[in-house]
Amino acid sequence: MSKMSYKEKFIQMNKEAKSTWIVTAILIAYWWIAGFGTAGMDYTILQMPGWFVLSSFGVWILSIVLVWGLTVKVFKDFSLEDDEDETTRE
Amino acid sequence: MRILLILAPILAFLVVMLAVGFAIQKRSESNRAVNFSKDYFIGNRSLGGFVLAMTLVATYSSGSSFVGGPGVAWLRGFGWVYLAMTQVLAAFLVMGVMGKKMAVISRKIDAVTVIDLIRVRYESNTLAHIGAVFIVVFFCGTIVAQFISGANLFAAAAGVNYTFGLFLFALVVVTFTATGGFRAVAVTDTICALAMLLGLGVLTYAILEHGGGISRIMAVINTQPQMLEPTSGGAISVRLLISFWMLSGVCTLGLPQSLVRNMSYKNSKSLHRAMIYGTVIVGAMMLGMHLIGVLSRGVIHELPAGGTTDAIMPHLIVNYLSPVLAGIAIIAPLAASISTVSSLLIASSSSIIKDVYQHVVERHGGRADQKKLGLFSIATTAAIGIVCIIVALNPPTVIVWVNMFAFGGLQTAFFWTFLLGFFWKKANTTGALLSMTGGVLAYCYCMAAKIPLGGFHAIVAGIGIGFVLFVVGSLTGKPNDEKILKLFFPETYPDGTKIELPSRA
Repeated sequence: MSKMSYKEKFIQMNKEAKSTWIVTAILIAYWWIAGFGTAGMDYTILQMPGWFVLSSFGVWILSIVLVWGLTVKVFKDFSLEDDEDETTRE
Repeated sequence: MRILLILAPILAFLVVMLAVGFAIQKRSESNRAVNFSKDYFIGNRSLGGFVLAMTLVATYSSGSSFVGGPGVAWLRGFGWVYLAMTQVLAAFLVMGVMGKKMAVISRKIDAVTVIDLIRVRYESNTLAHIGAVFIVVFFCGTIVAQFISGANLFAAAAGVNYTFGLFLFALVVVTFTATGGFRAVAVTDTICALAMLLGLGVLTYAILEHGGGISRIMAVINTQPQMLEPTSGGAISVRLLISFWMLSGVCTLGLPQSLVRNMSYKNSKSLHRAMIYGTVIVGAMMLGMHLIGVLSRGVIHELPAGGTTDAIMPHLIVNYLSPVLAGIAIIAPLAASISTVSSLLIASSSSIIKDVYQHVVERHGGRADQKKLGLFSIATTAAIGIVCIIVALNPPTVIVWVNMFAFGGLQTAFFWTFLLGFFWKKANTTGALLSMTGGVLAYCYCMAAKIPLGGFHAIVAGIGIGFVLFVVGSLTGKPNDEKILKLFFPETYPDGTKIELPSRA
C-alpha cells in the first residue's frame, strides 16, 4: 500500500479520474468505428453479422482489458482513512 | 400442478431474500447501537470488491433490461443490441472517476448519503433539500413502476393473479430492506445478480434448443435484412445512438443510487476489483439479454396476439420452458426489479431520515437517540414501501410520467453537481442551484411537451442546459468558503496547508 499525504492522494485521484475518461473515450471511438466502420462489409463471425460481433462483443472485451489495465497501471492502493501527514489531524 | 412447479423456485428465492434480511439485522445489532445511520444506510463502509460490483450492477439493471429491452431487440435486430452496449460504461465510470474522492471525503466528514456530501461541498441546506426531494420523488416513481412491471410479469408468466403477485414479491422486498438496511440490500443484490446470470443461461439454452441451433435461427433472421443493420433499416438514427451514449452511458455517472455505493466500500482494493468485475458483469448481462431478444426471433416469428414487444420474453418463458426452468427464468427479471427497488427504497428512506429529520434535530442542538433513530428509520423504510405497494394496486397516470422522467431527471440533477463539485474548484452554490433546478425543469419540459430536438433525446437538452447554468452561476456567484475548498481541492494549496474539517455532516 502506498503511503500518501492528503494532498498527494488528491493528485493521484485526479490522475485516476483522467485516465478513466481516456478509457471511456477509447471505448466510444472503438464502438463507432467497429460498428459503422465495418457495417458495409459483408462478412459474418459465428454466423452473426461481422460488424455486430466486432463492435458489441468487441467493446465488452476491450472494456474489460482496458479497465484491468487501469487498475494495474494507474490506480494505486492507498488508505482511504489515514493520511501520512499532519495537515488533517485535529 | 404446473403453477406449483413454476412457483416453487420463485418462493424458495423469496424465502432466501427474507432470511438474509433477518440474519443481517441480527448481526448488525452491535454496530447499530453505536452509529445507527452509518450501519443502516451505508453498511458500515464494509463492502468488498465482489459485492460492490454486484450491488452496483444489480441496482442499475432493472426489469426493463430483462423484458422491455430484449423485446425491442426481437423487433429491431442486432442494431438494438449494439445500442444496448452503450451501457458498458455504467459500472467502471462512476467508480473510476468519483469512487475514491467520495470515499476519502465521506470518511473525513462522516457522510453517509450523497446529500450529506452536497450539503458540505456547497454549504447549502436549500440545495441539499432540493436534492433530497428529487431523490424521493424520482425513486418512489421508479419503485412503483418496478412493482407494476414485476407483478405483471409474475401474473403473465406464472399464471397468478396481479394483486397476489404484487403483494408476494413487493412485501418481501420491503421487509428485507426495512429490517436489514443497506448491507442486506447489497447482499441480496449479489444473489439477485447471480440469479439474473442463471436466468440468462436458461434462456440461452431454451432458444438454441427450440430454434434448432444458431444456423437455423440465423436463417430465419436473414430473411429480415433490416435486423442485420446497425440502424435497423433507418429505425435507429445516429442522433438516437448519441443520445444513448449520454443517457445510458456517460451520464450514468450522475445516478445517486450508483454514487452512494462509492461511500460504502472498504478500501482501494475493493474499488479496483469492483471496477473489473462490474464491467464483466454489466457487459455480459446487457449483451446476453439483448442478444437473446434477437435470437428469439428464430423461435417466435410473430408478435403474440394483442401483445406489444414487452410480451416477447414472458411468451418465451411460458411456452418454451419446462415449469421448473420457467420458474428459474422468471426469477431473473423479478430479481432485476427486486434489486433496483431495494436500493431505491433504502436511499429514499435515508433522504427522509438522515437528510431531513436527523439534520433538523441536530441543528436544534439535539442528538438523535440511536435506538429511537433506529425504530424511526425502519418504520420510515417500511412506510415508503407500503405506500408504493398501495399506489401500484391502482396506479394513477402520473406514475407513468414520474417513472419516465426519473432516470434522466436524476442524471440531470446530480451529474454536474457531483462531477464539477469534486473536480472544478470554481463550482459554487449558485451554479449548483441553477443547474440542478434549471436542468431538471428543462429536461422534464422537453420530455412532457415532446419538444423535437432534431431527433435527440431530452437528456441532451437537460445536461446541456444544466452545464451552461452551472458555469454561468459559478462564474458570477460567490465562491465557497476556503475551508471547504481546502478539503475538496488540497492539491491546489501549498504543501502542509492545514485542512480544517467543517462541522460534521
